[in-house]
Amino acid sequence: MDASVRRAAIAQLKSELLRTMRNKRFVFFTIIMPIAFYFIFTSSMDGDLTVDGIDWAAYYLMSMSAYGVVGSGITTLSKKFSRERSQGWSRLLRITPLPSWAFVLSKVIAQGLINLCMIIILFVIASVVKGVELSAAQWVESGLWIWFGSFSFMALGTLVGTIRNSDVVQVVGMIVYLGMSMLGGLWFPVESMSDTMRGIAHAMPTYWLGHGAWNLIGGGAFDWNGVFVLGAYVIGFVVLSSYIMRKQEAA
Amino acid sequence: METMKDWAIQISNVTKVYKGKKAVNDLSLYVEKGSVVALLGPNGAGKTTTVSMILGLIQPTSGSVKLLGGDPKDRSVRDRIGAMLQDVSVIDNLTVAETIDLFRHYYKTPLPLAQLLQISGLTNERSKMASSLSGGQQRRLGFAMAAAGDPEVLFLDEPTVGMDVTSRQLFWDTVKAMAGRGRTIVLTTHYLEEADQIADRIVVINDGRLVADGTPSQIKATTIGRTITFTAGPSVTNELLYAIAGVTDAEWNGRRVRLYSSDTDRLIAELIMRGVEMKDIEIQSGGLEEAFRSLVSSAKEE
Repeated sequence: MDASVRRAAIAQLKSELLRTMRNKRFVFFTIIMPIAFYFIFTSSMDGDLTVDGIDWAAYYLMSMSAYGVVGSGITTLSKKFSRERSQGWSRLLRITPLPSWAFVLSKVIAQGLINLCMIIILFVIASVVKGVELSAAQWVESGLWIWFGSFSFMALGTLVGTIRNSDVVQVVGMIVYLGMSMLGGLWFPVESMSDTMRGIAHAMPTYWLGHGAWNLIGGGAFDWNGVFVLGAYVIGFVVLSSYIMRKQEAA
Repeated sequence: METMKDWAIQISNVTKVYKGKKAVNDLSLYVEKGSVVALLGPNGAGKTTTVSMILGLIQPTSGSVKLLGGDPKDRSVRDRIGAMLQDVSVIDNLTVAETIDLFRHYYKTPLPLAQLLQISGLTNERSKMASSLSGGQQRRLGFAMAAAGDPEVLFLDEPTVGMDVTSRQLFWDTVKAMAGRGRTIVLTTHYLEEADQIADRIVVINDGRLVADGTPSQIKATTIGRTITFTAGPSVTNELLYAIAGVTDAEWNGRRVRLYSSDTDRLIAELIMRGVEMKDIEIQSGGLEEAFRSLVSSAKEE
């Protein structure tokens, strides 16, 4: 990468980090809420509860970490892209030397860094406060799984962000985020669901994000199915959003 | 084609068709480096479309556009230009200084942050969130972003819309200072006095076509000229007036006469020297506003 592009992209990255962390709605919904949910639902449950043989406090830690990064990807990126397009900001950037790929990449990297921090914070809280015990490999593997998986929800965020009206985007983003999290079994385990609901859950990318992590801490094999499903979703989201954007630009 | 000169902008026979309508119609315009050009015209005349094509934001339907001798979409060209577009609001959750500094990092040789804050008059607002600024202040922030890379060519599309009188004065003083440093400035406006004050060349565009091109005084002289109006004494005749050099037209309204001339100073001296009987003399220099109006209306009548 050209040194001047790198310099511009790093400045863009820093600005994106600042902007996201200053967004109170973001901090509340995607950082504070998963932590609060974690405390509420691990404290209110029986201490000996297990799901598929996994200790509840560890199982729900994976659920809530996944839930946080899902929201971070969907709500933040959709709002940024939609706003910047409708307010002429993207147009203005097209006449600056910053390449558009560098602009998008710095947003994705910024969100990736934030997601990584969110996962680490939740893991540390669970280990220190709730005494969750996992092997070093399990901590690292499950954390990385959720982190890599989080990028597919950024792709979903760019898709939602193709809606021009940024107020509508905010509402749609929230509905998709909360709806997918609930239906995908991140709030309540799929094991507690009816057969129909479980069938729906298995179609949700959120379920597969959680499933891979639950699997890793439960000692199961690496979840290649999850990789496949999430990968398919990413391709779908990206193809669809670039198709919509091209149509909008042609109009 | 005039290729020997150092051109900032070369537009050759450009046409842009939008939904079957020609927004820009066979427009050719060459802008020399270091000049300050005002694109003047009523709303919907094609000014913004022209600027958007120069910037590479939209593609011309036919014809060619060169910016600094190259393609406006080239990164090396973009590094040397800056623009204040219409209807751009600010980015959220960044302060004024952070927003400007972000833009500075896009360019190879940016101006210092303190200088950008100063020329946009935003030094006191530097720590405020950009989204909390007033409309006029946001426009000035837009100017600071446009100037961030110390551009060789600066585009200002209706820059003073929403600015109060003080902001506007500071703004034009700054633009004049930049022009003084050899920068090429292209502005669109329908504040005609501003174009007159700031530009050394005015290009009048109407219905997507170039209707006049020249210095502000040329535009004024060639279109409406200036007039001397007086009540003529009994000895004055139409033939007598037309015999005087510099009179381009005479209009009679009873004994009230209006003479048109491109140089009213010389004409009045001439009239007095010849002892033409006159009372209640009024001399009017047609303002740019009138010149502009007559240009636009005559273009429509064609």
